[in-house]
Amino acid sequence: MSETALRPSAGVATRPSTPGRRHRRSAYARRRGRSGLAFVTPFMIIFTLFMVAPLGYAIYQSLYTTKLIGGTRYSGFANYSTVLHSGEFWSGVIRVIIFGGIQIPIMLAIAIFFATIFDLGVAKWGPVFRAVYFIPFAVPIVVSSLMWGFLLDPAYGPFNRLMNAVGFNNFNWLSPNLMLPSIIIIAIWEWTGYTCIIMYTALKSVPRDVVEAAILDDTPLWKIILRIKLPMVRPAIIMLVFINSIGAMQLFIEPTILNNYQAGVVTDTWTPVINIYTTSISNGEYQLGAAMAVVLAVVIIAISVASLAFRNRRREFR
Amino acid sequence: MLSKRRSPGKNRLTITALVATAALIPLAACSSGGSSSSSSVAAPSTSASSSSSSSASASPSTTPVLAGGNCSSSAAHITFWAWVPGMSRAVTEFNSTHPDVCVTLQDPGAGSGEYVPLDNALKAGTGAPDVAEVEFDLLPSYEIQHYLVNLVPYGANKYKSLFASWAWNQVTQGSGVYAMPSDFGPMGFYYDQATLSKYHITPPTTWADFATAAEKLHSANPKAYLINFPANDPQWLMDLMAQAGAWPFKYTGGANLTINWTGPAQQKFASFWQKLLDDHAVAAITDLSTEMNTDMDNGTFGAALYSAWAPSYFAPNVKKSMGQWRAAPLPQWSAGAAVGTDWGGSTYPVFSQSKHPAQAAEFSEWLTATDQSWNIVKTPPSSLFPTYLPTLQSPSFKALAYPISGSSQPNQVFSAGALSIPLTTWPPFMTQVLTQGGTTFGGVVTGKETLAQAFAAFQQQEVSYAKAQGFNVSTS
Repeated sequence: MSETALRPSAGVATRPSTPGRRHRRSAYARRRGRSGLAFVTPFMIIFTLFMVAPLGYAIYQSLYTTKLIGGTRYSGFANYSTVLHSGEFWSGVIRVIIFGGIQIPIMLAIAIFFATIFDLGVAKWGPVFRAVYFIPFAVPIVVSSLMWGFLLDPAYGPFNRLMNAVGFNNFNWLSPNLMLPSIIIIAIWEWTGYTCIIMYTALKSVPRDVVEAAILDDTPLWKIILRIKLPMVRPAIIMLVFINSIGAMQLFIEPTILNNYQAGVVTDTWTPVINIYTTSISNGEYQLGAAMAVVLAVVIIAISVASLAFRNRRREFR
Repeated sequence: MLSKRRSPGKNRLTITALVATAALIPLAACSSGGSSSSSSVAAPSTSASSSSSSSASASPSTTPVLAGGNCSSSAAHITFWAWVPGMSRAVTEFNSTHPDVCVTLQDPGAGSGEYVPLDNALKAGTGAPDVAEVEFDLLPSYEIQHYLVNLVPYGANKYKSLFASWAWNQVTQGSGVYAMPSDFGPMGFYYDQATLSKYHITPPTTWADFATAAEKLHSANPKAYLINFPANDPQWLMDLMAQAGAWPFKYTGGANLTINWTGPAQQKFASFWQKLLDDHAVAAITDLSTEMNTDMDNGTFGAALYSAWAPSYFAPNVKKSMGQWRAAPLPQWSAGAAVGTDWGGSTYPVFSQSKHPAQAAEFSEWLTATDQSWNIVKTPPSSLFPTYLPTLQSPSFKALAYPISGSSQPNQVFSAGALSIPLTTWPPFMTQVLTQGGTTFGGVVTGKETLAQAFAAFQQQEVSYAKAQGFNVSTS
């Protein structure tokens, strides 16, 4: 939109205006703007109070250090330096990146597979199955973790006994090598139903005429799905990857609860959020925890924006 | 308005970045992409007496008031936090006999369920209770931040002779008394008589005999062990080290602190237990867990190195071994010695935020140093094991029988052990010690490292933490 005033053209009556001045909005537009602002204000107040202000306070706190001997002193970026040099923090970050990198594609693949089946309508009692697949999402994560903990319990869990019966001796689903794969399985169980519903809804919104044109062209079914329908729901897939990668990097509940079933595997720096929790609550080093949280947020932003930018650029070249 | 000079691609990227950053804020509640249900399960150690035991962190202001609240408005109102079951009976008794004081009891949950809100309230400057249950090992953590009221001006010293000397030593720092001791857990060798006689084992009197007995039992039955050795319960481990003369901390206030996990006594302790772990003569699973209780009941574990209060955690799980459990003194490092040790226990300090310190002190002293109170709290469901000598040494208390122990009198053994506990000092950051220890010693449980290696790693971690907190650390 141009910043300069419209030149009055011959024969057309226009409002007189001084050059360089923007048009004033009509009274109606101004009223609409004000009532819009009124609707948004309550949310903005709560948002500022409970999200922005604590965030700012955490960043402010991260610049100080409290010692048991010596009290609270300004320490500048010393906390950030500690975090950046902390091998345990970064190995926790690598661990959750691996977790997300394996869990999200597998979950998406399973969810898209089932969503496609539902969309095609080939499954009998489709709505019933959709509801059943969605049930794990309705279970609170703490409850799922407790439940899975009992199933995977090293001493008395049925899954272990199953593996022992099949021939593996002293199999332990919660051993150091298998803890992360077990958590991946739990996370896939928790989230596939939800992802499936979202993909199903997205698939349902693909315009029918495109699909019908493809059918008229004798396109095989797999090509219709892979080359036509899925690319049209790309925005939904992008959104799911984006949200799930943010969530995956904040892995906390499952390992913390499974730790009660198998001691010694989930250390207090196993994932970044566990590390932050231990540092802040158990060690009492709140400021260092705040610095850790800021660093983690930056890492998460970088990874999620990177994935978005990647997708967007590809779209632009089509 | 966006200027036309920037390319559309860059604009889009900027907007995307802004949106992504803003989206992080509401999505901060997502964990694994989920709801923001935060559990407060803290440390790996699930030792009941450990301050980092897992429990729900309900804020005390939302937990139900268990006793009190019916008092006159002229009475001094005292808030009291404690998780000992059945404490409300004592509070009600106090309120009815002390009309000028009104105590309100709240139960915020055991261990960290109470300590986390307590620490927050103390740091914030308001909201802390007048009196709360604080375990022995955490007292220095509160003393160093000057959160506790010195009870000497309120007459605490006149009760000194009524308490086991170890307990009184724990609550004093310098010339001040910062809490009233209540219950504790002298340790003993707690064994299943039927299981041990099946393998022809008698309760060992020395640790050398213990090692022999453990090897004997395990070779007779590879699926059974003499005891569970929960290496990842740092407090239990430290209590045994105290008995071995290998206590790893020295702290008496101020900025000087000694940390020693790698001295000769500590290494001797580590190699003794490592041999048993390597030979699989002892198992290593989580302490005081359902699994350990089940294994004790079904004979997988023939015994446990238990405190006086631990059987009350075990008793609900007892089916097959009902009536079989006996107590014997702890094995000794030198034949003929009689050194005990303690595991856990609680005190009742008054906090500096209290507006009625005199009445709060009066309540704390009544709760811990009177027969009226002990006659209530020594009975179930509280079942506290007293540091209060008149009850501890009374013949009726020593002769108490428990269903899981048949006709034997375990309190005889535990009371005898109560008077020979070596003096110990806790560092003023026990929560960190217990959490870090749970992780560092966890490798011993999974067999990844030896106890000596875990001790060496732990020594490094603790020294660097203490130095970062501003202490002058010495290592011997």
